[in-house]
Amino acid sequence: MTVLDETHSTPAPALAVLGRAVRRGTLIRAASVLVVLAVLAAAPYVVNVTVVFTLEEIAAFSVFAVATNLLVGQAGLVSFGQGVFFGLGAYTVTLGWEHAHWSFWTGFALAPVLGAAAAVPVGLVALRARTLYFALISLAFSQLCYQLVEQNTGFTGGANGVFAAVVPTWMENPVNGYLTLLGIAVAALAVLRWIYASNFGMLLRASRENRARVQALGTSVYRLHLLAFTISGAFCALAGAMLVIYNQGSNAELFDWTTSGQAVITSVIGGMYTFLGPVVGAFVYQFGHDNLVRYVPDWQLVLGAVLLLAVLARPDGLAGAVRLHRRQAGNTSDAELNSAAEGPGATSE
Amino acid sequence: MSEALLCVRGLTRDFGGFRAVDGVDLDVAPGAIHSVIGPNGAGKSTLFSLITGESRPTSGSVRFAGRDLTGRPPHLVTRAGLAKAFQTTSIFPRLTVGESVCAALLARDGQPRLLGSRVKARTYDEAAEICHALGLGEHIDRHGAVLSHGDQRALEIALALATGPRLLLLDEPTAGMSPFETKRVVERITALARERELTVLFSEHDMDTVFAISDTVTVMHQGRVLAHGPADQVRGNDEVMSVYLGSNRDARTA
Amino acid sequence: MDTFVTETVSILTNTAMLFVVSAGLTLVFGALRLINMAHGSLFMIGALIAASLASALGGAWGFSVAVLAATAGAAALGAGVEVSLLRRLHQREPLAQLLATFALVLVFADLAQRVWGSSDRSVTAPVAGRFHLAGATVPEYNLIVIGIAGLVALGLWLLLACTATGWRVRAAVEDPESLAVGGTNLPLLRTSVFALGAALAGLAGAAIAPLESVGPGLDTQIIVAAFIVTVAGGLGSVLGAALGALVIATVESLGTLWVPAYASSAPYLVMILVLAVRPWGLFGIPER
Repeated sequence: MTVLDETHSTPAPALAVLGRAVRRGTLIRAASVLVVLAVLAAAPYVVNVTVVFTLEEIAAFSVFAVATNLLVGQAGLVSFGQGVFFGLGAYTVTLGWEHAHWSFWTGFALAPVLGAAAAVPVGLVALRARTLYFALISLAFSQLCYQLVEQNTGFTGGANGVFAAVVPTWMENPVNGYLTLLGIAVAALAVLRWIYASNFGMLLRASRENRARVQALGTSVYRLHLLAFTISGAFCALAGAMLVIYNQGSNAELFDWTTSGQAVITSVIGGMYTFLGPVVGAFVYQFGHDNLVRYVPDWQLVLGAVLLLAVLARPDGLAGAVRLHRRQAGNTSDAELNSAAEGPGATSE
Repeated sequence: MSEALLCVRGLTRDFGGFRAVDGVDLDVAPGAIHSVIGPNGAGKSTLFSLITGESRPTSGSVRFAGRDLTGRPPHLVTRAGLAKAFQTTSIFPRLTVGESVCAALLARDGQPRLLGSRVKARTYDEAAEICHALGLGEHIDRHGAVLSHGDQRALEIALALATGPRLLLLDEPTAGMSPFETKRVVERITALARERELTVLFSEHDMDTVFAISDTVTVMHQGRVLAHGPADQVRGNDEVMSVYLGSNRDARTA
Repeated sequence: MDTFVTETVSILTNTAMLFVVSAGLTLVFGALRLINMAHGSLFMIGALIAASLASALGGAWGFSVAVLAATAGAAALGAGVEVSLLRRLHQREPLAQLLATFALVLVFADLAQRVWGSSDRSVTAPVAGRFHLAGATVPEYNLIVIGIAGLVALGLWLLLACTATGWRVRAAVEDPESLAVGGTNLPLLRTSVFALGAALAGLAGAAIAPLESVGPGLDTQIIVAAFIVTVAGGLGSVLGAALGALVIATVESLGTLWVPAYASSAPYLVMILVLAVRPWGLFGIPER
């Protein structure tokens, strides 16, 4: 299913449009999305409350992962620093409440704004570096922020962070909290989906494939990436604010590079070249990780092995495996595609 | 005689002690198909990168449609109307042919517009048209990485064409192609040039191609221009024949 | 004056250790274009091997044996990992390498805990002597560490400047394509360089064991520092690693002395500043 097919619209009688949609599978896809949403909405009434808590975390984390993937999978910019914006969003809510007496929703609304505002100066400097150095500079940046937040005990509460009664009482009930988070997540992901499918998204993907070519074709890739970085910062901060509903607070570890690393790993496991890949990865990672840590003492070994397998075998992740089955005849498998793409003849810098 | 569309004067490029391009003069008339020929190392690719701004000249000037483009960066040269198809295929492996050409069409606008910007039907139509013009119609949904070499080269040209240039620069467009593919690409280029009133400047090895379709020819040797003029004239030039074409000709008649 | 001496010795000792570790990392990246996140794990394993062997054998000789064993062990482990796994990632994009070597960090951390347990160990220095300089007390062992680093620097210089292998390594750093035509046994070269990098990591870990407590967490601690040094110095440049190590060690020490609250942030700031001005590091090659 290519973008060319999906969004090309021509005037036609409603029935013909419907028929075309069914044939293209758009209707099936829309229907399956609705079914999944219905299941997710009904979940808290059916499952154990621990699962609901995990789902809350997944809701926030999905937005974080998809926003990170805008850089990693779409723009080809591996960043180990998105956790900084994640943490920034969370702390905007908690510190805003604690030091400036902002209501929860004020802090929540301001989080993405601050995220975007912070992303601009960071991006201006960091994006001058190419791929690998950009990844390392983002790592250094996140460690720097982590240190600063941890040291500044007076303002930020140090390593323990802030535990605040900032969340409105009605949301403290896990079912309410979860449903609110689900709603926000769906809205945020819808916006991100729109961005992925726009002009901008297409150019971003092209710049990932061949930066020099896009530059030669007339676009400043630096500016393109700066815009992507800003959007990612805003949504990561939003995800951080969402996490406060789950956490009832914020802590310094959000800034640590391993948090950012989690978002990257999640995207890779789920499939970084698709939109929903990171969401799938988030589900798998959270449920898998929680159970793994609880029941398997050698969980690091297992996680390491899984990650190795994921990297060695399926560059396209789990979502890629699903997409494989839906491809039109005459098209290529993802594995073929990726090995062809990485071989000689492909320029990516 | 009408004003030349591309006017190169005294273009020179030194790499340390080595002079790759030495005082090259070149004129390309609007609507003409002009080829640059010469053995390996003659400086053809370097000359092309000097014209497109990928490389800065040590001295000399490049004027295009009356504007001075000497030393300007590539994306501005492209916006001025001069597009190049790369010698080493430089495409978008994981995008489909259709998506690649769309991306090229979007890129020429320069601004990554976010709001109100679902890719318009108009863009798809234009992309499809370009793909068909280069014989890529049936490959629109195939990814760049899995195309045959010949089709990848065609996609190369499609990407350059998408920027809507007045002058198309093709650096060894038939390199590595079978005679069949070469013939097809050559036919397409000439057809395109006529239909879209394009001026084409290309570098080539294959003599048959060169003299079959070129209006004017420049012969380069060791960075310098050996001969320059209408194809027939150059063909008949004895010095050119002996220095460059001689060995090829013998091999062909043997 | 005595503070000056103590500080200088401390800075030089840290420089020594950082240099040896980072030289390994930078060579591996430079010649193989491989970012090895597990480099810190090799450092930690070297330290653990040295700590356990030295305690078992005892004495100065025991310690020397332990260091050699640690170096060799790390080299062997590195070679094994390269041949079995990293070879496949040779042509892949940096993200794949980062993630795969990060996976190795997890695996090594787990295995290390199984073999050596999770508590910290300490080793007594093989030489307990101290001598006095300008009113300050300087442990002899620190000088030995500095000496080891000096020998490593000399050895690397000789290797890179005077041997055929060294030239190949330098060619690989400058332009990987150039070696493809020469008939060099590339897989052997890659494994050898990786093993060398691993050996350096193990050696650094072993050498530092008497001065720091050795336990889990050492891997992540050192890898961040090594990355900062390598990146700031320029990936692929041993000279850059040396200078970077000196700068970072100095900044860390002086930071702890003057602004203790922000001392740990200072190295990151340095790295960001260097990259902002020279995006490929001090001695790095542009367009990487």
